[in-house]
Amino acid sequence: MRSRRLTPLRGALVLVVALVAQIAFVADLRIVGAVGDLMLVVTVAAALTGGPDRGATYGFFAGLTFDLVLDSPFGLSALTYAVVGYGVGLACGVLFRPTGWWPLVVAAVASLVATALYTGVGHLVGAPYPWGDVPAITVAVALWNAALVLPAMAVLRWVHGPSEPDRLEVLLR
Amino acid sequence: MAISPPTGSRTRFAVLVLASVTLLTVGLRDAPVVREVREGASVVIGPVESAVDTVTAPVRNAWHGVTDYDDLQRENDELRAQVEAADAAGVQASDAERQLAELSASLDLPWAGNVETATARVVSGPRSNFSHAIDIDKGTDDGIAVGMPVVTGAGLVGRVSQATGSSSTVELLTDPEFRVGVRLSTTGDLGTARGQGRGDPLSVDSAISPSTKVPKRTGVVTSGVDRSAYPPGIPVGTVTSSRQGSGGLALDLDVDPMVDVDQLSYLTVMLWTDGG
Repeated sequence: MRSRRLTPLRGALVLVVALVAQIAFVADLRIVGAVGDLMLVVTVAAALTGGPDRGATYGFFAGLTFDLVLDSPFGLSALTYAVVGYGVGLACGVLFRPTGWWPLVVAAVASLVATALYTGVGHLVGAPYPWGDVPAITVAVALWNAALVLPAMAVLRWVHGPSEPDRLEVLLR
Repeated sequence: MAISPPTGSRTRFAVLVLASVTLLTVGLRDAPVVREVREGASVVIGPVESAVDTVTAPVRNAWHGVTDYDDLQRENDELRAQVEAADAAGVQASDAERQLAELSASLDLPWAGNVETATARVVSGPRSNFSHAIDIDKGTDDGIAVGMPVVTGAGLVGRVSQATGSSSTVELLTDPEFRVGVRLSTTGDLGTARGQGRGDPLSVDSAISPSTKVPKRTGVVTSGVDRSAYPPGIPVGTVTSSRQGSGGLALDLDVDPMVDVDQLSYLTVMLWTDGG
């Protein structure tokens, strides 16, 4: 029988592996001058498989882990990814089911939202990231996210076991 | 039925947002605890990152071979032309440099050519799309400290923003938060250069009269004015365009950095802190 006590450990392992892969591998592979974002992939996959609660939680911890190794304002990634994770989970319950091509579309749209939100909040807290970079970053992150979101969802299902319907989903039935 | 998330979900989300905002506030104040936590993370993750970096190098090299081929070919042609020009300029510059060194020594002025240095290897580039920092393999054990200027043979790269025993983080001059006092190499006019992001020119707020013509390719070097964070005379870039500033009282300049921050392998840290 699958132990639920190990779920947080498995989740932490996924975040650490994603972080190392991001900074030692993905960060060096540029598409249209920008790189992918594995921490966002994990966040979106968590939201798609577990709803807004899980999306926000993974988003917060993925962002926090990322913030540890970045030079940007500490907490900016945590805030951005928590909001995106919650939003994707919420939209997933209200607008569609995470099957077929939907996860790829959602992952791409989430890339735009995350990039714009990060840039916008950055300006508010005194880190003036250029708005002109947003389109290229969105394209690169969207391509990576769309390519990796399905495998990432499989990994998240391994972490949490067979998916239980989100409470919101139950509410809407 | 109204569509809304369960109350518990909303509460958890609110707590996470509040925690993020709190961290953002603490981090923004450059709290020592945040700096220490980041330095600790750097020490822990560094060896793992280095190992994965080595293992994945063939894949990354293949990727660059495919995606950067045209750029490399064009760059090669440009470099060939530049080397020829630099050979000629070098002869004149070496004589001027010798005279400047002698004058600086006799007047007891700081000069970039006299500063002790440490050479370091770049171990990782920017880690995200919003990062403008790279890591090098030398740290406080080699005399490196936060704030020290970092250069290559071509010119200014940035400054050390974080240093642990065996590694350091360098804030690149393309970082939108980066500032450096500069002067025009031809007229000596002063200004402040700031980064505008990867691939974009530096923007220089100058005190130059708007009626002045600043020719393209005019050299820009660190000013080294009193209490500057950088010694004078480090090449920063060349002017690509000039326009009237927002107040209409002075010129704003676009400056192309001398250093291509995407192609860094080895760097030189100038063991020089504010004031020499």
